[in-house]
Amino acid sequence: MIKVEHLNKSYGKNAVLHDISTTVDRGEVVAIIGPSGSGKSTFLRCLNLLETPTGGSITIDGTVLTDPKTDMGLVRQRIGMVFQHFHLFPHMTVIDNITFAPTRVKGLSKEEARAKGLQLLERVGLAEKADVYPSKLSGGQKQRVAIARSLAMDPDIMLFDEPTSALDPEMVKEVLAVIRDLASSGMTMLIVTHEMKFAREASDTIYFLDAGRLIERADPETFFASPQSERAARFLEQVL
Amino acid sequence: MSRWLKWVVTPLAALILVTGIAGGSGFGGFFASLTGDAGLALAAGESTSDSGKTIIMGTSPDYPPYESVDAKNGGDIIGLDVEIAKAITERLGYTLEISGMDFSGLIAALQTERVDFVMSAMSVTEERKQSIDFSDSYYAARNTIVALKDSGLTTEDALKGKRVGVQLGSTQEEAVMKMEGLGEIKKLDKLPNLILEIKSGRLDAVIVEDAVAAGYTDANPDLSFAMLEPNPEDLGYAIAFPKGSELIPAFNAELQKMKDSGELQTLVDKWFNTKSGVKSTKKGIDFSVLNGYVGYIFKGIFVTLLFTLVSAVFGFIWGGILSLFKISSIAPLRWFATVYTSIFRGTPLLLQLFLIYYGTPQLFNYDISPLMAAGLAFGLNSAAYLSETIRGGIMAVDKGQREAAIALGIPYKTMMISIIFPQAVKNILPALVNECVALVKESSLVSIIGVADLMRRANVVQANTFKAFEALLLVGAIYYVLVLTLTSLAGLLERRMRRSD
Repeated sequence: MIKVEHLNKSYGKNAVLHDISTTVDRGEVVAIIGPSGSGKSTFLRCLNLLETPTGGSITIDGTVLTDPKTDMGLVRQRIGMVFQHFHLFPHMTVIDNITFAPTRVKGLSKEEARAKGLQLLERVGLAEKADVYPSKLSGGQKQRVAIARSLAMDPDIMLFDEPTSALDPEMVKEVLAVIRDLASSGMTMLIVTHEMKFAREASDTIYFLDAGRLIERADPETFFASPQSERAARFLEQVL
Repeated sequence: MSRWLKWVVTPLAALILVTGIAGGSGFGGFFASLTGDAGLALAAGESTSDSGKTIIMGTSPDYPPYESVDAKNGGDIIGLDVEIAKAITERLGYTLEISGMDFSGLIAALQTERVDFVMSAMSVTEERKQSIDFSDSYYAARNTIVALKDSGLTTEDALKGKRVGVQLGSTQEEAVMKMEGLGEIKKLDKLPNLILEIKSGRLDAVIVEDAVAAGYTDANPDLSFAMLEPNPEDLGYAIAFPKGSELIPAFNAELQKMKDSGELQTLVDKWFNTKSGVKSTKKGIDFSVLNGYVGYIFKGIFVTLLFTLVSAVFGFIWGGILSLFKISSIAPLRWFATVYTSIFRGTPLLLQLFLIYYGTPQLFNYDISPLMAAGLAFGLNSAAYLSETIRGGIMAVDKGQREAAIALGIPYKTMMISIIFPQAVKNILPALVNECVALVKESSLVSIIGVADLMRRANVVQANTFKAFEALLLVGAIYYVLVLTLTSLAGLLERRMRRSD
């Protein structure tokens, strides 16, 4: 369903992504790993055009994202994104954060959106926090609200950009549990992460990026047991 | 959220409506009498069964007994000039309408034909003749020396080597320029300020015409005046018209008739024997002179507030739009906003106010009301400053907010209005309050085009009472209370906005 062909991205003369081609199937969970500066986040951000590719094409269910005529607003409604630093809207309560886009962009009624929002909060275990402001939440709670906010738009694809990197260690677990739950529900997901254990257990495919290139693409068992490249082997040695 | 937008838009719409009404002639009465020095009040009093030809007279009603605001009774403009004008225009079949404004705005008003003629104890000078025309003279006053009682300055000779003050553009200015051996000559716009200069010892004497001098010495027991020899060359006061006005011969003919019949002299006697000022026995500050004027001054609060609100809301919205231009990816919008800001920040506000008020009727053939012109000028000016402030506020909002909104598929406009702006405004609230406070106080500039705001009313009362400080101190206190109220309201708003922290 996602088809990436010869994707390139550079800032001026500084090339960040080199000729990446891959496909992601419906329901596939991809964990993107690699050393910092390898272009993982940039790759992820290209998938909903938060970064504009400088070459190649991205196609999602037949819609060519890289075509300037494509209405990206519509495409983005179908792609949820969760950020390292949550980016909740600080001037809105938790429930308003969640219902804002469904009511203002999709035209859901307030009641409908609220009912659905509460359901999603239930799902991420924060039903009782509906009417508080984000500043009253812990990092882990914020990230779970951010996930609920993305899910409220009924996306087909979810992108996670280092969702646990900004969290205190004791909060990582609660967020990973939510993502894991989502993965098992059949959502197509791409997750940039440094949590190797999580990547190994929750993903269907591992992408290993280094210096802007997609060096390895394998199922977790194969990748973690016997990485093909010397670069990946060295990386695993350092992080495991 | 959308509530936020409503807060801004609803009052704006209401205000535009209100200023529209105040500016237009539809409602006349109430708003005109509140916002203009007297505005349509006289016209409303006259019967409308006349042929309906309306003629507009411009005057600066701060020079009793020639013209002043009858602030104790309804705020009409009254005085010798007004009665002469009434007599002449009535006979010529016109309905007289009086437009009050600052003396310095009168010639511009004539040139732009906002008024048909001016009677404001205006003396005929060669300089003025370059730009406007005059009728025959209707009165020539005697000049006097006003000085401290025990100064002994009673003759022209005694003034040698002394510091002498005179009102800018008055007949007395010409007289003073011809005096020999004066130490220093100081010219100021306002007579009350010259009187203050004597009291504070910066001037030894001021040359003033007789009727006015009597008013000041009555109200200030520490001053006295002495008559100067009449000047045969003095051309006296005349009615001023736009260059080439066809009204002049008719006015001259009626004026001549009034002189011949003795009617003019009767009017002069009537007004010069009326003590319009106050008799005060106290040498220092005497607030009792404000008796009867307080209500008139208080009405100015409404005008000042209305005006401040119109310009603040307009400036905020337009400034917000400009700030979006400045961060836009479209180069011409950025250029426009940058040039706009540099022009409005780089030229004096007073000049912008003048150009808008006097330029709009000529360029767009639309008779803009003083209040609207002032709201527009201040709004446009304020927007230039606010656009920078708001731009800074927007830039200070975390970039992630934008990305989160984009990732949710929220359109640009919705994102800016509901997500970025509220956060930006919270960041810059203290700066916005500063701008509002500045607007409240700068609003005093509008008195120059005749908006009867607090400052204008203080000037009027100052002129009526011949006392300099009392009215100023009162409006000073009012301004202070207004600003204090404004800042505490802003404090409340800020606390409300911070509840999400």
